[in-house]
Amino acid sequence: MLRNTFFATARLRQPVAGVLAQSFPRNSSTTTTTLDAGTEKEVRHHESQASDWWNQNGSMGALHALNEIRVPFIRDGIVSRGTVEPGYVNTTKVLKGQRILEVGCGGGLLTEQLARLGAQVTGIDLGEKLIDAARDHLNSCSPELASNVVYKIEPVDQHAKGNCECYDSVIVSEVLEHVEDKIGLLEASVRTLKPGGSIFITTLNQTIPSWFCGVILSEYVLNLVPKGTHHWDKMISPLDVQRILDTMNCQTVLVNGSTYDFWSNTWRWINNTQMCYALQAVKNKNA
Amino acid sequence: MLSFLRIQGAVASAGQLRILATKTASNVTSSRRCESTKSPATEHFDIIIGGGGLVGTTLAAALARNATLADKRVLLLEGAPEFKGFDPAGAYQNRVSAINSNSIELFKSIDAWPHIEGARYKPVKQMQVWESNTEALIQFQHDNFASDVACIIENDLILDAVYARVKEATNVEILNKARIQSVRLPKDNSAALSELQLQDGRSFSCDLLIGADGANSVVRKEMNVDVFSLNYNRMGLVATLELGEDACDNSVAWQRFLPNGPVALLPLTDRLSSLVWSTTNEQAKKLQSLPADEFVDALNEAFCRQYPRVELADKAVQALNSLFGHNSSQHQVQYPPRVIGVQDKSRATFPLGFLHASSYVCSGAALVGDAAHRVHPLAGQGVNLGFSDVRILVESLAAGAYAGFKLGDKQHLIKYERKCLAKNVPIMLGVHGLHTIYSTQFSPVVMLRSLGLQLTQNLPPIKNMFMRGAMGQ
Repeated sequence: MLRNTFFATARLRQPVAGVLAQSFPRNSSTTTTTLDAGTEKEVRHHESQASDWWNQNGSMGALHALNEIRVPFIRDGIVSRGTVEPGYVNTTKVLKGQRILEVGCGGGLLTEQLARLGAQVTGIDLGEKLIDAARDHLNSCSPELASNVVYKIEPVDQHAKGNCECYDSVIVSEVLEHVEDKIGLLEASVRTLKPGGSIFITTLNQTIPSWFCGVILSEYVLNLVPKGTHHWDKMISPLDVQRILDTMNCQTVLVNGSTYDFWSNTWRWINNTQMCYALQAVKNKNA
Repeated sequence: MLSFLRIQGAVASAGQLRILATKTASNVTSSRRCESTKSPATEHFDIIIGGGGLVGTTLAAALARNATLADKRVLLLEGAPEFKGFDPAGAYQNRVSAINSNSIELFKSIDAWPHIEGARYKPVKQMQVWESNTEALIQFQHDNFASDVACIIENDLILDAVYARVKEATNVEILNKARIQSVRLPKDNSAALSELQLQDGRSFSCDLLIGADGANSVVRKEMNVDVFSLNYNRMGLVATLELGEDACDNSVAWQRFLPNGPVALLPLTDRLSSLVWSTTNEQAKKLQSLPADEFVDALNEAFCRQYPRVELADKAVQALNSLFGHNSSQHQVQYPPRVIGVQDKSRATFPLGFLHASSYVCSGAALVGDAAHRVHPLAGQGVNLGFSDVRILVESLAAGAYAGFKLGDKQHLIKYERKCLAKNVPIMLGVHGLHTIYSTQFSPVVMLRSLGLQLTQNLPPIKNMFMRGAMGQ
């Protein structure tokens, strides 16, 4: 237990927040998005980190480290659905041909890594500076991935309008805990998903340990995260996510608990979901 | 088929060149521009291995063999001219290695073991270690001789076996007489590639540069890691020895700690053994220049001569043995077979030292083998640690590539370092510790080391623990 309290989400700072789905369709077709105050605040907060986003030793260190477990989680989750050509398994082209939407892609840490496995990834985010950082990095450091990645500044509900049922997988990684209207965001995300496709979610649980480690320890004691990054009232338990997804005809197939060791900057899977978790749900075909 | 693959490789490299060209063009720093105009023909590889010794070549073979890394282009750089090959019917070489089961597993996994097995090697069934100042001794054997403690294999045979695998591989290129002039690493800037220039002016770039270039590694110097090194002021003398009739099947490895350092006999055949004699620089030079018959006499004396005993330590060892209910006859030292000759020109010396790099990786580069660590040969661990690095590195790179990491990304390379350190550091400290406590004749130390050795001999669980460690399990 004592160990558990230390598995803080210490330096973890979530990518963007603000892919808040607007529950009501906007009547104007203009691309400028009006955000509510809470979302606006989250977007600004994350944009302030944009320049440091790709620095492994910077404030995003924990997010870089998270790729060690979330990429295999997503990769194996996709492979387990049987849509990957057998010849590609165990090669670096394992996700070739897979169309993936990443909701709240931030500076593109996860986006590029999935593209490197051959996937066609669309990353959307509300933070203009974040998308700029993501595009800069793609062009300067990974030009070979340019044909695999598209970045857009767009809320997910707007994106869903033009991309109904067109993705094999949707990823909502480290985003849900920054969003007020979780139902709206998940609903729009699921809408973009092909029947039989998977939605992958990683986020913090809403528990006493996650409050103590994720907020108190990392923000107020160890000062690893700027104050105000995480809000306990915005966190959500895996059961609640599962219930929401159930109403959207998505069946949860996997929930894994994870935790972060700040002293070694590594993430690992654990047997309980008290701290953080990763969840995979599959959209039923007979909708 | 082969030519088809080669063509594909060429196309890929042209594509990468274009990328590189646009990169250098967009770069505004003038120094870079100078570089790129000076050497416009920079060829790109995914992985470049600097150093085609035992460890570097084995790494190339293991990379080529890995299914996940099959689409990576690998370049192996070696300073020496092309490897001449190995004649299994020829005279025995003086440079041999005691290969443990972990390394043999690696050879099996890259399909190099049948090649070695089909040529010649000698399994060691038992090992006896004893010293000159007391009666203490220890014998290692595996489950009543059920399997081998180690195998003695000539270095050139190992190289021949792995070289053959590398040559078969379609995605590995070998460049001989290639000496690295300068290296430029991206450091913590994940954008850039690792670049290197050869002494003949050719230049290459890669995602990951692996330093397998030995104790004076050029790659390590550029990585800017702290290096802890000690010169033991000792030389190792190697030779190929002929044994007398009393050798029987010659399947025991012998090592005796003398005041100047350990002398070891490693079996090669029923009648041949390989010598590794660690001693002071002066004595090593002297032994190397002695006439053959005098050298053989000196060697037999080294194994049999009675040195002044430390009485207190002797008594303590006897007391310990009686405590375990053994009489002293069970712990009688057995003596190695008599050496009757030394093969012409087989004597050679090399310096001994200790070296450990504080870090094995940085963005765009990693170290393996002697470039990262160097130990005293007394436990036969040096090259085995290198082969264990190879195994761990290939596994880590495959896992990293399969998770979409760039090959040179420090984020996943650090996992290789962590695993290696956990494995290498205890062994290195152990070997260095043995060297230290056996290079003194200070009686309390002699007593303690003798008791320790005897206690280990008498307590099978402890003995097995050490043996498993040495066998790499």
